[in-house]
Amino acid sequence: MLPNDKTKSSLILRNILKYIRPIFGILVAVYIIWRLYLVFIVQNLYGPETWTRLLISGLIIGGVYSLIAIGYTLVYGILLMINFAHGEVMMTGAFAGYFVFEAAKSINVPSVGNPDLVFANAYPVLSILIAFIAGMAVSAAIGYFLEKIAYRPLRKAPRLIPLISAIGASIFLQNAALLLFSPQTRNYTNPEILSRGNGWKILINGSNVTLPYTGVFTFILSILLMVALLFLVKKTRLGKAMRAVAMDKDTAALMGIDVNQTISNTFIISGALAGAAGVMWGLHNGMFHYFVGFIPGIKAFTAAVLGGIGNIPGAMLGGMLLGLVESIGPTALDISYQLKDVISFVILIVILVFKPSGILGEVLAEEKI
Amino acid sequence: MKKHYLLSFVILFAVVLASCAPAAAPAEEAPAAEEAVVEEAVVEEAVVEAPVCVETVCEDADVAAVSAADVDAACAADAYGCAVIDAGQTVKIGMSSPMTGGYADFGIDAENSGLIAVKDACGYAGFSFELVAEDDEGGAEGGAAVANKMVADPTVVGIAGPLFSGASAAGIPIYDAAGVPLLSPSATNPPLTAMGSAVFNRVPFTDDAQGAAAADYMFNTLGFTKIAVLHDGETYGKGLATIVKSEFEGFGGEVVVFEGITVGEADYTPILTTISASAPEAIYFGGYSAEGAVLSNQMKSLGLEDAVFFGCDGTFGADYLSLTGENGEGSYHATPKEPPATDTKANFDVCYESAYGIGPVVLSPFSYNSYDCTSALIAAAKDASMLGEDGKLYIPRGTMVDAIRGLTDYTGISGTYSCNEIGECNVEGPQFWTLTGGEYVKAD
Repeated sequence: MLPNDKTKSSLILRNILKYIRPIFGILVAVYIIWRLYLVFIVQNLYGPETWTRLLISGLIIGGVYSLIAIGYTLVYGILLMINFAHGEVMMTGAFAGYFVFEAAKSINVPSVGNPDLVFANAYPVLSILIAFIAGMAVSAAIGYFLEKIAYRPLRKAPRLIPLISAIGASIFLQNAALLLFSPQTRNYTNPEILSRGNGWKILINGSNVTLPYTGVFTFILSILLMVALLFLVKKTRLGKAMRAVAMDKDTAALMGIDVNQTISNTFIISGALAGAAGVMWGLHNGMFHYFVGFIPGIKAFTAAVLGGIGNIPGAMLGGMLLGLVESIGPTALDISYQLKDVISFVILIVILVFKPSGILGEVLAEEKI
Repeated sequence: MKKHYLLSFVILFAVVLASCAPAAAPAEEAPAAEEAVVEEAVVEEAVVEAPVCVETVCEDADVAAVSAADVDAACAADAYGCAVIDAGQTVKIGMSSPMTGGYADFGIDAENSGLIAVKDACGYAGFSFELVAEDDEGGAEGGAAVANKMVADPTVVGIAGPLFSGASAAGIPIYDAAGVPLLSPSATNPPLTAMGSAVFNRVPFTDDAQGAAAADYMFNTLGFTKIAVLHDGETYGKGLATIVKSEFEGFGGEVVVFEGITVGEADYTPILTTISASAPEAIYFGGYSAEGAVLSNQMKSLGLEDAVFFGCDGTFGADYLSLTGENGEGSYHATPKEPPATDTKANFDVCYESAYGIGPVVLSPFSYNSYDCTSALIAAAKDASMLGEDGKLYIPRGTMVDAIRGLTDYTGISGTYSCNEIGECNVEGPQFWTLTGGEYVKAD
């Protein structure tokens, strides 16, 4: 008996199905509130300095995810395609930035007070700028060639095929990096003004809480890039062309827009964003290797879906939310830290059950401006 | 405009690539070259000539052929049959270890030692031995994949491994079914010998011994009463951490947090923050150097500056040292006990350094163990081999399995081994080391 039949039992079944979503939501909400009550009111184990630290961690982790998610969401918003190789493009950016810093570290510019001064510390802002430009340029180039070789020939194919091609491109880039650069894990040598682990110290409850320089830099950079990208998409001719191609490729071509060039530009910009994310990853986390893009790529994809894939502020929001849940979730809910991914994905499921298109939900091209 | 765009990107990319690959090599070799120069300078002061690697002179002893009937009888009577090596093929000793990824140092070091062992062992009856090292990425899936590959090759007669406990647990049933003997230099997880396997044997201390020794050291020698215990969720790490927790609590100490982390993440600040709320005196970590380095680096800025990072044999190595730098100062790690200073050991040290540019026990603590395992397997293969009248070499697999399980008073570089009925051939251990002034120093 199908729920569409108009018999009494099927009516009851339909009612039950109608209420499953709210019931599921209420169950999860009750569980979370109960756990929060236990942790905050009953046990009250952790002081404000611990929660502040967790909040800072969450925002920083969220910032890293947002940086990567912005590039993911741009490609999906314009082309309705999930670029699984985005994490690997970020990895190439990390490598490019690494080599710039290695070069800057080895150039000696001795000054009167400091005979061992290296270029990286004498001109730190310039070194960081060059590293970012190199990272973004290399990643943009990789993005361009990725599109040209792996995605353009498959433009007329069903949606699943470019996805598989993307996975293949991802594996190819990982192994290319493995062969070119060896499996050794490398460490970024930050210029001294931006050294890892140091930051502003805030005294809370008798304990020094560190607000890391690199963490704040990550957060601000992700907001800046998001704003820049929004400006590009909404206010420039290129952005208009991208939105037009997203709405209807054929009509856009009829209107005189070079579709191939626009799509290439999309991938170049997405690649540049990934490159910036890669260099920032290296500056903040230090360690990277050929496989470093894989897990953050998946997490960023999750973050983009959470916030509404295709929506740029959504990617930022999703990234922040994911970071905060990963950081504060296990401690606030008194659940084992090993299950933090379980918590993240349950939150994802809950949000998708109630709003299948994600939190901010609208796709880029269909915004009502 | 389009062409300039494209061309300039290609040029930039090419320039970056061109500058990187050669730049990487000198950067890597520079510290090794410096070390070698310093070592030579020191040696030259004491001795007139720098020590040279004395290679074994191989004699081609004649081996009597065994009649075909005897060969057939022996192979038929053997539970697993015979490995048949045709004339012109090599007898292979396999290795299952991580060769890529964050744990690559362990596999590279084991392969280095194994290659020296193969060279020193020479051939037998005109057949030479060959080391086949495969990458199992240190995990269960890789371990099973490499095991299937090894048993599919009929010329593989033994495995000097697997190195990691996770890979061992997955591979043991496969090797058991095929009758390929295993002699692991480093798989320390206790339940591995309780699996009822006839082929698995191991040389290092078990984690029962390491956990008890670590808990004893932390409680009695260092005087800690409050620690946190972390593990990476893998067979080895979690097993070891569980043992340390129960042993430490048995002494009367307090374990404030017992948690697992996810392998491969770059940011462990949330769990470290939660730990810092309980202010432990030390954090014991059961896992490998890749994660241990991240933990050590991030501990310092979270209110845990005074906490000691206590690692294990999985965190010891050049990898941890280079990734943590200053943040690793004062941390503890474990290795097997240092071998007695014999001529064989001294010669091995020189041979290893001259062949690879770095000394043994730099990339991983198990260099001597790997050499001994490979040599023991080759020696057992020689003993069990029968040269057939057709020029082929027949090695009964059951005899090899029993020979390794029955190893008695085998003298290797790291000590004298005797294997018991479940495959424990343990040498003494562990020895604790602490990182001081950028070097590993023996901790009393």
